[in-house]
Amino acid sequence: MTEQAIPARPPLWRNVRVLRVFGQIVFVLAVVYVLRELFLNMQFGFRRQGITLDFDFLQQRAGFDLSEGIAYGPNSSFWRAIRVGVINTIRVAVSGIVLASILGLLIGVGRLSTNWLVRNVARVYVEIFRNTPVLIQIIFWYVAVILPLRLVGEDGEERLFFLSNRGLAVPWLRGRPGAGSWVPWLLAGLVAAVAVWWWRTRVNERTGRPHHRAPLALLALAAVAAAGYLAAGGPFDIELPAIDRGAYAGGVKVSGEFAGVLFGLVFYTAAFIAEIIRGSILAVDKGQKEAAMAMGLTRFQQLRLVVLPQALRIAIPPINSQYLNLTKNSSLAAAIAFPDLVQVSQTVINQAGRPFQIIIIVMGTYLILSMIISVLMNVANRAVALRGTRR
Amino acid sequence: MKRDWGAREDVALEAVAAKEELAVTEAPSARDLTPAQWVKENLFSTPFNSVLSVVAGLLAGWLLYAVLRWAFGTADWTVVKTNFRLYMIGRFPIEEAWRIWMGLYYVVLLVGLTWGQAGRRLTWDAMHIVRRSVLAILGVLLLLYLVDSPLVWSLMGGLVAAYLAGVGVGRIGRGRTMRRIVWAGWLLAFPFVIVVLQIADGVGPLRWNGFLLNVLAGVVGIVLSFPIGIVLALGRRSSLPAVRTVCVALIEVVRGAPLFAWLLFGVFLLPFLLPPGVQLPQIIRVMIMFTVFSSAYVAEIVRGGLQGVHFGQYEAARAVGLSTTRMMALVILPQALRNTIPAMISHFISLFKDTSLLAVIGFIDMLRAARIASASVKFIGSSRQTLLFAALIFWIVAFSMSRWSQRLERRLGVGER
Repeated sequence: MTEQAIPARPPLWRNVRVLRVFGQIVFVLAVVYVLRELFLNMQFGFRRQGITLDFDFLQQRAGFDLSEGIAYGPNSSFWRAIRVGVINTIRVAVSGIVLASILGLLIGVGRLSTNWLVRNVARVYVEIFRNTPVLIQIIFWYVAVILPLRLVGEDGEERLFFLSNRGLAVPWLRGRPGAGSWVPWLLAGLVAAVAVWWWRTRVNERTGRPHHRAPLALLALAAVAAAGYLAAGGPFDIELPAIDRGAYAGGVKVSGEFAGVLFGLVFYTAAFIAEIIRGSILAVDKGQKEAAMAMGLTRFQQLRLVVLPQALRIAIPPINSQYLNLTKNSSLAAAIAFPDLVQVSQTVINQAGRPFQIIIIVMGTYLILSMIISVLMNVANRAVALRGTRR
Repeated sequence: MKRDWGAREDVALEAVAAKEELAVTEAPSARDLTPAQWVKENLFSTPFNSVLSVVAGLLAGWLLYAVLRWAFGTADWTVVKTNFRLYMIGRFPIEEAWRIWMGLYYVVLLVGLTWGQAGRRLTWDAMHIVRRSVLAILGVLLLLYLVDSPLVWSLMGGLVAAYLAGVGVGRIGRGRTMRRIVWAGWLLAFPFVIVVLQIADGVGPLRWNGFLLNVLAGVVGIVLSFPIGIVLALGRRSSLPAVRTVCVALIEVVRGAPLFAWLLFGVFLLPFLLPPGVQLPQIIRVMIMFTVFSSAYVAEIVRGGLQGVHFGQYEAARAVGLSTTRMMALVILPQALRNTIPAMISHFISLFKDTSLLAVIGFIDMLRAARIASASVKFIGSSRQTLLFAALIFWIVAFSMSRWSQRLERRLGVGER
């Protein structure tokens, strides 16, 4: 074997670096060619039907009505209609995420209960709701539960909540005139809470006695706030929903469609969140709990200081993807004619006949929504992530 | 490693050490409890637990009572019985139904063969027998209510016979040849069904309705998205920046929008993207969208699996002189895919559930069949029953798939080294 036998450089067609660059150029050209072909096909097809690819049509009069959302009428523009849809989607997604998290947490903890009954009720819940299509659940809530419920009752009758084909009404706070005088009291309460927190921490550091700072600080806040509430002469009323001539009055009201979508999404997603919560609590190494026990922490302290922080770290990424799923699944609202983004877009496509632009808008909106949720969840993730592994 | 120190204080240290070496992972054997002890321990161990038990018991009992009273008392299920065929095959012409039966027989025979040649023993402990017989009795009762036709009954009996015959033949002819036959059979299963449905003046895709449509759309999505997803995942991990960028963009854009939006894309926009003169039936376009959507998710799952393969495996494969292709095919992908089984099956379950979206874009799938059934004047106000029945069928399929996935996971030892 002589050294001359190895050429200083391989020929071009065997040089890996050249091949890689060349291969990528070919790949990019192929992708660009395919995209260009698709675009030209589309342009040709639309031109033949006399449809342009610009966004000017958004200013035209829409001519259809939407059942709920921000101010809108048939004379509003297509653009306004789409904005109504976007805001309705956000309303459903945000309230769905909040409620599904609460329910999912309860059921997930229930799955791990030492109580046989609670454990199995939670398990049955998860198995039922996780394994049926969310679309059927949404339609079921709306068509089979909410629509057959008629609004019965006398005029002026008040109840804790109403659920009927008129929608869902729940109690809400209503401020009286002069409610603003309560705000300084609230601020004072916060200051008191911080002071108590600081004081208890010092006591604990100096004497080693248990600090109980969280409940005591909350107590201080509650005491000052309650005193202020009385001093301000009851600035708020809790307003119960009531019936007024066959409709709701008072409280907060959402339409039957909104309630249907919300119930469907919340019950479905909660089953998945419950499984994530359960899985991540189980995934915390058993030694951690045993070590906490050995150090003499109470059961609650074990959970709060040792198990939950670690479980949260495992749970946040999959919960993030459940939030994204819920947001995307809110598009199924269209099946029961709730005017969300997709339902409005479908109507706009039928009226204005510009599928390309509308679908671009829809996809863009969902991408932005997904990104916002992911960014928020990343912030949460960074707060609980292991130091040194932040990515 | 589960150890119960309190219960084993008297166990000699060597025994514990030996146990540790054997890495016993099952729980300590359950103590025998009298029913009274069991109730005390599991329901009333602390005051808080007692309150919880009473509240949960009352709530669950009331709910169960209300549901059962409605289901077996108030509710009239004739609407489901009358429309059972609509649920299953929708408007598929009845005189052509033999095509579906033929496909069913093919698949059932194949399942039998597969089971037989795998040669696994059934577990016959009491728990299993009880559970299986309860399930079987429930299934037969349900079918007894739903199906009247003696022809359908004998055909279903034939299915059971075909399954048993498959198991027998598979077990007797166990070996390499049989394995090859089974593999070939599965590869040909989908083309076979499609051909049988259409051959000799058959039934076109427009009349594949009902549950049949859900199953076909689900299977197409699963089968086609699997290889595409693997390619996308490999592309996303490629060392070539151009390939990587394109794959990332594709995956993220597809995952960013809801499936419903993509189906609308398939209905409204896809016809314009095709070359002029080329026309695809709507159902094909929708199935393409299912595949595209599912591929992006499969790609992410496979990527997770690939990341779980230790880099030493790559180096070892390189060291024995495998080319990149062979390294991927023979060393990396088998390990990566094994790790993805749970995630993959749960994705396929959700894809199958998502086929109910066909109802919203104008196809007569099972959900739409349910809506049609309760829309007739004769059965007005029966949407609870019709929807629940559709949900029940989806539930049976999804639940048994998830159970199967759990068993597979245990058998393949996913997550264990």
